[in-house]
Amino acid sequence: MNKKGFKYYLKIYFKIQIQDIKSKMSYRADFFISLIGMLFTNISGFLAFWITFQNFPSVMGWSYYEMLFLYGFSLLALTPVQLFFDNNWSLRIHVYSGDFIKYCFRPINLFFYFISEVFDIKGIAQLFFGLLMLIYSWNKIGLDMSVFIFFKLIIALVTASLFMIALMNAAAATCFWIVKSGYIMIFANRFKDYAKFPISIYNPIFRFIFTFIIPIAFIAYYPSLIFLRPNAIPLLTYLSPIIGILFFYISYKIWMKGALSYAGTGS
Amino acid sequence: MSTKSLSFSKYFTLTRAGVLEALSFRASYIVTILGNLIYLVVIYYLWKAIYASSSTTVVNGMSFKDTMIYLVLATALASLFEVFLVWNIGRDIQSGKIVLDIIKPMDYQIYSFFNFSGNYVVAFFTTFLPTFILVYFLTGGAIALGTNLIFFIISVLMGLIINFCIDFLVSTICLFTQSTWGINIMKEVIVLFLSGATVPLAFFPEPLKTIVGFLPFQAIYNTPLLFLVDESLSTSKCIEMLLFQLFWVFFLFFATRLFWKKSLKILTVNGG
Repeated sequence: MNKKGFKYYLKIYFKIQIQDIKSKMSYRADFFISLIGMLFTNISGFLAFWITFQNFPSVMGWSYYEMLFLYGFSLLALTPVQLFFDNNWSLRIHVYSGDFIKYCFRPINLFFYFISEVFDIKGIAQLFFGLLMLIYSWNKIGLDMSVFIFFKLIIALVTASLFMIALMNAAAATCFWIVKSGYIMIFANRFKDYAKFPISIYNPIFRFIFTFIIPIAFIAYYPSLIFLRPNAIPLLTYLSPIIGILFFYISYKIWMKGALSYAGTGS
Repeated sequence: MSTKSLSFSKYFTLTRAGVLEALSFRASYIVTILGNLIYLVVIYYLWKAIYASSSTTVVNGMSFKDTMIYLVLATALASLFEVFLVWNIGRDIQSGKIVLDIIKPMDYQIYSFFNFSGNYVVAFFTTFLPTFILVYFLTGGAIALGTNLIFFIISVLMGLIINFCIDFLVSTICLFTQSTWGINIMKEVIVLFLSGATVPLAFFPEPLKTIVGFLPFQAIYNTPLLFLVDESLSTSKCIEMLLFQLFWVFFLFFATRLFWKKSLKILTVNGG
């Protein structure tokens, strides 16, 4: 396969997206119901957070608004996986039915083609909630804002988003080896909810696990330190973009290894 | 329906088949237990940090151990109750397969229940029981094991039926909307939040707590769990709670039946 440029892929991506939106528009009711469902998820998530912390002004040196900052940050960092990588949820169904073989015959990157097929528009609701929480807590804590800080925030969010994407890629890829592996995706998906808690609450063993094995500490905790604790930024925060890219790359390799060994179902 | 077809032996055949089918996916239960264990770790440290920041050891009538038992067993119950009924019925509606089930000489609501009853049985032994034993030992035997255990078991059974009825109700709505994800996630969120499975109901602020008390959701998780953590409950109070659950069991069982029967008339299956 000859290498094709970034521009080429971008063009293809938009072409596929337009098709996806067209097909979604034929089920408009489903779209609105899904959007409301997403709003419900976020409202209840926030209410649970609010009820838990209303009685406690601070948890281990983290104020209510700092906790809210972590929450908002995690929602934003978890938006890309929802918006752009949601097709991973259908992977096992395609693989199981044999439908997946159609992706193997396209002269473009297999992973790219499969993932770009779906743009999960309901993720917008999460983006909105995350932004709201981040801006609100940002103001309440009284943090500064400048072009440079904004730039840092964007970098931090983009690299933080890679970790959940990597986890879900790897979880989805298990279906190439294990039949009906949906429970592994559900297992991995639960980690989304844990990303918003400061890693400092754990003992050293679990701090290690949540940093290097199941890297959820990078989704909100480490990148948020740049803004919340600018005087005590650990080395891991600076390294997180590289670790993020590394995790993403490994998950991509696992996914591709599974996909290339796919033999179809014979139908 | 003739009295003959009301005999339950055919339904129990479904249970047996379900158990055998579920047992062939052992790995899924191991992963679910692992997931529950990690959840246990997360909430253990989270609530430990929260209680450490509090000036009192008992918050809203619940100690740290009570909160742990409550939340971990709520998750264990959630994995026991979850049979993805809405997903399965939703998929059958979209594919048209549902027609094959409706024409079976069985009552569809009861058929659906028994179709998944095997999963309940297997999940009870593979995820709920191990989690229960684990929590019991990790909290140093903080769960009182007495007559309350009998109340707990009866209460879990009723909670399971209430949860099933709500799932069935939501599946019926899918006949109208042809949308599964959105409807299902709304149900999931409402049930888990208002039942106390995410945050114990004891922590809810006052007007909300009273309102939630009148809804059927708290009868799914909060009622059985209170039998385990609230030792101050009198026997009469326990019976009152069970009767309240029983009311919801009957009400929801018949209401969802009626709704299903009425809704079936509008069912359209595209192709098949």
